Amino acid sequence: MRLVGHAGKALKVEHAERPVAQRFEGAVLPHLSAGLTLAMYLTGNKADAEDAVQEAVLRAVRYFSTLRDDDARAWFLTIVRRVCFTAYRTDRPQGTDMISIDAVGPQLVDNREQPDLAAERLHLQQRVRAAVDQLPPLLREAIVLRELQSCSYAEVAAVTEVPIGTVMSRLSRARARLADLLHDVVDFGDAI
Amino acid sequence: MSERPDLGTALREALPVYDASPSLQAWAREEARKLDQESLPERGAPVRPLRSRVWRLSQWPIAAGLVIAAAAGWGAGFLRPASRATSSANATTTQLVDAHVRSLLPGHLLDVESSDRHTVKPWFAGKTDIAPVVVDLSDKGFPLLGGRLDYVAGHTAAALAYGRRGHTINVFIWRTVPGEPSDGSFAVRGYSLLHWSNDGLSLWAVSDAALSELEAFRDAYVHP
Repeated sequence: MRLVGHAGKALKVEHAERPVAQRFEGAVLPHLSAGLTLAMYLTGNKADAEDAVQEAVLRAVRYFSTLRDDDARAWFLTIVRRVCFTAYRTDRPQGTDMISIDAVGPQLVDNREQPDLAAERLHLQQRVRAAVDQLPPLLREAIVLRELQSCSYAEVAAVTEVPIGTVMSRLSRARARLADLLHDVVDFGDAI
Repeated sequence: MSERPDLGTALREALPVYDASPSLQAWAREEARKLDQESLPERGAPVRPLRSRVWRLSQWPIAAGLVIAAAAGWGAGFLRPASRATSSANATTTQLVDAHVRSLLPGHLLDVESSDRHTVKPWFAGKTDIAPVVVDLSDKGFPLLGGRLDYVAGHTAAALAYGRRGHTINVFIWRTVPGEPSDGSFAVRGYSLLHWSNDGLSLWAVSDAALSELEAFRDAYVHP
């Protein structure tokens, strides 16, 4: 709703205030799910992830005026990530109170497949999840942002607040670790 | 063995993405509305959505003395380690305001919900090494809502929540350590803070109510 100059004064005051919330809704709310997904892979459980997203929304509202460029997704993901790294321990040793992402992931199996093929795919998915689960947080987030959320290298760099060179190095280390664990079932091409 | 997928395909097929629940989205939309409301005069502003629960609580009959178990998952959020402690007054006050705002999230305000000080005070025993003074000040206009454990600026804190005409006052209490900010009043992002010390304890009252209200509260709390 855009109001142009000729409206009465009272109306003008009321509506002049309005677009900030609308801009926020348009810029940030579409990325709540992306934020939740990143938080899930950083905190490892849904309660923490949702808390982190709520805290991130509060901060995003507070600092909305600092959003200058157009990449609201990278901006919001940066906030989510900071909350995850400061308020929640993302470096917990595996197997303590961290819920494996195995435990919460849906099972993406197409029922029309042959039973043995379906079982093979399910097994592959479990192995991939377990391998990602084992990555250190900095490598895991790089892989999740790049491969799962289709961020550009520049966006991954913006979200994780490091130079692009560092992103490349983390991604390559992450891929190398995944290759160690998954080379028999995943094609890593000539990159490794 | 079927053909091996490449890494990107394998990851996208194996790793779930998550959808923000409708309630999370609705909550975020409500939060966004504050961007418009906060520039309006406070008097005319409608009760903010997050505060509505608090507002209702403050309307409850004081004599009820209800104890309601806090929603388990949310309450537990306060027991997790938070960000590092810093010694500067600036960082402390900022974190206190963050903790205050966080407490107003649905389900976050109270671990023990009671206007009965005899319920609230023993609740802290065993959960923290301090025994905060818990008084119901409803006769002075500050009804006790309850208490919770919090973690602020590197301290495990006892937090008491009081109502004040639709506002919430959080009192954070921890054992004084060297290098803390001196007593006095602070203002951060439109919130008021009042700090005083007593008997080896550091007390911080935080609210969006005016500083004069906090001073009235401190006087009532110190001399009930």
